[in-house]
Amino acid sequence: MKKIIFGLLALCGLQAQAQNPAPALPQAKSIVLTGATIHVGNGQVIANGVVAFDKGIITAIGGPATTVDRTNAEVIDLSGKHIFPGIIAMGSTIGIQEIASVRATLDFEEIGDMNPHVRALIAYNTDSEVIPTLRSSGILLAQAVPQGGFISGSSSVFNTDGWNWEDAVLKKDDGIWLSWPAYLSRSFNYDDYSITVKKNEKRADIIATFETFFADAKAYADVENPSPVNLRLAAMKGLFAGTQNLYVRADYAKDILEAVKFAQKFGIKKVVISGGSEALKVADFLKENQVSVVLGALHRLPGRQDDDVYAVYELPAKLHKAGVKVAISYDDEWWRVRNLPFQAGSATAFGTMTSEEALAFLTLNPAQIMGIDAQVGSLEKGKQATLLVSKGDLLDMRGNVVEHAFIKGAKINLDDKQKRLYQKYKEKYGQE
Amino acid sequence: MRKLVWTLVGLLAFSTLSMAQQTFPRNGAYDERPGRYAFINATVVVDPQTTLEKGTLLIENGKIVEVGPSVRIPKGTFTIDLQGKFIYPSLLELDSDYGMPETKSEARGRGRSAQQMESSKKGAFGWNQAIQPEMQAAILFTPDTKKSADLRKNGWGTALVHPHDGIVRGTGAVVTLADEPANAVLLRAQASAHFSLDKGTSTQTYPGSLMGSVALLRQAYYDAEWFAKGGKAIETNLSLEAFNQIKSLPSFFETTDKLGILRAADIGKEFGVKYIIKSGGDEFQRIEEVKATGASLIVPLVFPATPDVEDPWDAELVTVAELKRWEMAPGNPAALAKAGIPFALTSQGLKNKADFWTNLRKAIDYGLSKEKALEAITLTPARFAAMEDQLGSLKKGKLANFLITSGDLFSADNIIYENWIQGKKHVVNDLNAPDLRGTYDFSVKGLSPMSLKITGKLNKPEYQLILNDTIKITPKTSVSGELITLSFQPDKKTPGTVRLTGWLKGKNLLGEGELSDGTPASWTATFKEALVAETTAAKKAETTSEMGTLLFPFVGLGNETKPVSETILIKNATVWTNEAEGIVQNTDVLVQNGKISKLGKSLAAPGGARVIDGTGKHLTNGIIDEHSHIALLAVNESAQSSTAEVRMSDVINSEDINIYRQLAGGVTTSQLLHGSANSIGGQSAVIKLKWGEAPANLLMPEAKYIKFALGENVKQSNWGDIARVRFPQTRMGVEQVFFDHFIRAKEYSDSWKAYNALKNKATATAPRRDLELDALAEILNKERFITCHSYVQSEINMLMKVADSLNFKVNTFTHILEGYKVADKMASHGVGASTFADWWAYKMEVKEAIPYNAALMAREGVVVSINSDDAEMARRLNQEAAKTVQFGGISEEDAWKMVTLNPAKLLHLDSRLGSVKAGKDADLVLWNNHPLSIYARPDFTMIEGAIYFDYEADQKKQEKLAQERSQLIQKALSSKAGGASTARPEGRIPRMWHCEDMSGFDSVHSHD
Repeated sequence: MKKIIFGLLALCGLQAQAQNPAPALPQAKSIVLTGATIHVGNGQVIANGVVAFDKGIITAIGGPATTVDRTNAEVIDLSGKHIFPGIIAMGSTIGIQEIASVRATLDFEEIGDMNPHVRALIAYNTDSEVIPTLRSSGILLAQAVPQGGFISGSSSVFNTDGWNWEDAVLKKDDGIWLSWPAYLSRSFNYDDYSITVKKNEKRADIIATFETFFADAKAYADVENPSPVNLRLAAMKGLFAGTQNLYVRADYAKDILEAVKFAQKFGIKKVVISGGSEALKVADFLKENQVSVVLGALHRLPGRQDDDVYAVYELPAKLHKAGVKVAISYDDEWWRVRNLPFQAGSATAFGTMTSEEALAFLTLNPAQIMGIDAQVGSLEKGKQATLLVSKGDLLDMRGNVVEHAFIKGAKINLDDKQKRLYQKYKEKYGQE
Repeated sequence: MRKLVWTLVGLLAFSTLSMAQQTFPRNGAYDERPGRYAFINATVVVDPQTTLEKGTLLIENGKIVEVGPSVRIPKGTFTIDLQGKFIYPSLLELDSDYGMPETKSEARGRGRSAQQMESSKKGAFGWNQAIQPEMQAAILFTPDTKKSADLRKNGWGTALVHPHDGIVRGTGAVVTLADEPANAVLLRAQASAHFSLDKGTSTQTYPGSLMGSVALLRQAYYDAEWFAKGGKAIETNLSLEAFNQIKSLPSFFETTDKLGILRAADIGKEFGVKYIIKSGGDEFQRIEEVKATGASLIVPLVFPATPDVEDPWDAELVTVAELKRWEMAPGNPAALAKAGIPFALTSQGLKNKADFWTNLRKAIDYGLSKEKALEAITLTPARFAAMEDQLGSLKKGKLANFLITSGDLFSADNIIYENWIQGKKHVVNDLNAPDLRGTYDFSVKGLSPMSLKITGKLNKPEYQLILNDTIKITPKTSVSGELITLSFQPDKKTPGTVRLTGWLKGKNLLGEGELSDGTPASWTATFKEALVAETTAAKKAETTSEMGTLLFPFVGLGNETKPVSETILIKNATVWTNEAEGIVQNTDVLVQNGKISKLGKSLAAPGGARVIDGTGKHLTNGIIDEHSHIALLAVNESAQSSTAEVRMSDVINSEDINIYRQLAGGVTTSQLLHGSANSIGGQSAVIKLKWGEAPANLLMPEAKYIKFALGENVKQSNWGDIARVRFPQTRMGVEQVFFDHFIRAKEYSDSWKAYNALKNKATATAPRRDLELDALAEILNKERFITCHSYVQSEINMLMKVADSLNFKVNTFTHILEGYKVADKMASHGVGASTFADWWAYKMEVKEAIPYNAALMAREGVVVSINSDDAEMARRLNQEAAKTVQFGGISEEDAWKMVTLNPAKLLHLDSRLGSVKAGKDADLVLWNNHPLSIYARPDFTMIEGAIYFDYEADQKKQEKLAQERSQLIQKALSSKAGGASTARPEGRIPRMWHCEDMSGFDSVHSHD
């Protein structure tokens, strides 16, 4: 009997070890970080800076002369290190998929074409083993986005630490995701396995169904107690009220123009383009209409054979210089999002702008686009203390080693499954 | 007695024509006729070199009896005066399916279908449905009067026909297009052998790829040889028996593009066959390489339609390569002629056969001489089909196959009047039709005088009645010989038709008729003046004047000239040597004759050297990607568990833009691997990224590797329930696949050793050459090395144990994401690892993959490289290497080796590649920043001292490309405005291969 109990205990012990680390407890004590280079997220840099936060909120930030109350505070000297705001991953499937080939772990795509009513919010799995690995590259905020259909559903924004989705969520149902039918459609050739791209013949029909759907939704939104109740139409309400974003997935210039004009026609105030490969061709239009663009990963191939080999890398800076608000996402990916900081690195390498400007594509700009810039996105007094400490340049593999992370001032456990396996086998081989 | 002699002569003369019919009973009286005709006063084009003005052609019994300036015309000859007309030999079509049964290709369904492992063909034939040497066009042939009339109308008299189906297609037959029964028109039954790499209607799963087709065809040659040398005593195989019979015939090989020609010629070289290769019409883009094969070609006259670029949105779909091809393709035949490549022209691929002439005239406008053009449609095809004794020119003794035309065969207004085949007349246009074209005074009694204008082509005149400037009437007209009818409505508003009949008298027309009210009315049309010929000069202007230049390869970012090795001195750079010296500052590196010749301080530049300032820059080796699938036309041959016989070198795509993109990321060498769909995949091709060179010049043949695979892909775990046919379905089965194949390979190798040791080989039968077992035996004999796709520790361990038990080593595990769990075992086996920096979570077997893998393995003593398996990742492998610093704290110097020296070691190329050392290949990259940094990109990437990527030149190239694009678009717009037929633009994106891709059904996220 004793043996059995022992066995059980051992099992429990093992299991505990295989679990994700516990979410951080709320900040109990004031923290002051000193000596580091602070990358504010809005384009500014503070050398040998000081940042103090208490109860999750930044209370002071500035140069070495900044006065802060250090009584009862935990003061951490970070000389030679770098402080960054938490990186924000827009447009992802973080928390709603785990292992791509195992259907049971996929929760991002519903049946049907028009699903504004399905919500990433409630499927977001805080216990995903992927999420802790992302924190180690600086991803402290993630937008989880439903995929598929024409209207995929509504997204929500989460802190990448939390006991459950209610605990983790920063902004619920921040926007509805619409896939604009591409001007050019792709079809697969079974003979030579190539892809043919030609004018999308079904496009007009699809847009016609959008017209009807949005017209019906707008009419529905005007009625206080509509009957019969229609969940799909009801979910669209926030778009017309201006409380939610309409995210439109569009890459071709013509699609971008058309989608924005479409949204304007229905009085939708907040339109965001996601994808935007050809956004540069309509940059003036986007600027004039104050439409932001969430670009996909830069680490992809140029779209056309004749494109400049570096065209994709050069796009964010060019768009930014043209006056368009730019964010960079890592497409609809999940584990790969840990490479998001490097997208801004590439944007810097191939653009005429500073790495601080590129950093804003991952911090302040996405926060503004999603309407969470009052809380996060840059390191400013009064905002949440969601920030990290890196050994070097976060945007470069050579420097991206995250040593501390705080979400709302709470100190995050940076352990993850991969680090545990590393440790386990280092011990096996006696490496150090 | 005299009569008897005559009959005998007649019989002999009819040898081909009527002997076939001798055995047939006649219904009614015999109707044999000598068919003796003389054509006099014609311009007789005997062959491309010989033209007789006012010549005579004498034919009898379907053959040419005499041709010359003065021919004695025997009595009993019907003489036809062809004053002003021309006689040409008729055309021979070499690539025809005339009279063949329609080949219905079953549309490959959407989605995967269950595998068919065996042939469904009934009978004692070979194992594969695509190998059908037993097929005979002569047996399948049925004349088709509708099709033959269409071909005759356009000038063809004979055709070499074969069923266009399968890889070995059996024999072709030469038939004439005379309107006669099969027995009369079939000239030669077993005339030719036909091949392709297209499996056609075969429903069998193998081969499922281009390299599989090559392997299958090669194996068929070897099997046939074995069969002839004794195999026939062991098995009955009607296919192999037939194969041996057709091997000596003129062999035709159908391909679709320039690389296909090179591929076919390579196969021919292996088996001593000079194929006559049907091309795709784009060989002008690789003319030197095509010429070097020594192959003869059958060239289609299909030119791309003008891209419709009127809508600027649409225009973006069109690549510069497509625009340039459209611009330059009509010059293809001229380019071939200039290069001295023997070629025939075919109408295959043209929906409308009349376009053949339009396009041939275009080819002539683009520089093809008329003599060459005539040769390519008459004499050359006859020679290719070994039918010169009967066809191709108007020489005495040949078949009386000829055309009577109004003029020069190639002029736009030429009319083919008659097409004589085997001495039988087929009228295309009335030879005696008078030329009525001109202006006439037209008067009908009771109507106002008008003028009649007859314009248009001689065989298609257009009629117009002109009353005054505003009233013009088009009458309904029919002409038959010298008789004419006209009917018209004089006043559009009032119904009522004037109906006239008449005839030609001298140059005038006259006759009778009645007005709309029935009043009889006589009429006359008095000839006033002849038609003024329209000039065609304007049309010529658009063609050849401003032709673009060739590019190598033929894509927008190709080179105008192929880069060549230079003497280069790089001054004052930070040099990552990968040698004991480590990273050295302020160092010069001299490159000469494609090699690194010297490293040092303040080196002097030899005369003519290009000096590059490396101050503040980093000079390294070119990156070597151990696991790549770029520059390939196919990646998986997944029809069987082992496809060791297939070679990636057969499907290298030297025109892939990703080669250039990767040069721009510092890559110089890539191992192009087979996919991971089966346990034993195909043989790799290791290439250098020499952008512009053809496949053979990219290949490093000394690197002999083969892809193996383990885990979910080979057991088909993620392909749905349909993939439950092929063995193995578990990791248990995978092990047995290896044992089974290696044991067979060992037995095979032993049997060859035994045979080779025999003193008297004459009495023994050689073992059957087996390409699959050849490759596996090479592994056992340590001449070929394994790169094995692998994920979890159990299977990694398993393969090492299999190898140990058979006394060989696994060379490299690729992916190897759980290698860290058995790194100690790997180190002691001596296997290397080529892995991803940080991939995981895309399937079950990578759920424990960690980015610290490379570091853990390296520290255990395993040679580790970081690879891409992805066209995108490969262009920033320097960054992937940097991740081993980020995760696992590898030193930067060692991290850099993981994409240079270590893969060179894994490929056994480290004596040539992988470090900056005097004597090694000058495959170098000059980086503008620390090479492991996200901020780095190459200033220069060179291979063997030739600069293949130059950042500044690339910027200029972009500008030039944009310019050329806009010029071509303008040209296309004016071509459309000029009435050219257009095609809606369609972009074509070649597949980006990863090793799991079977048929494009990989899910979005399953990568690798």
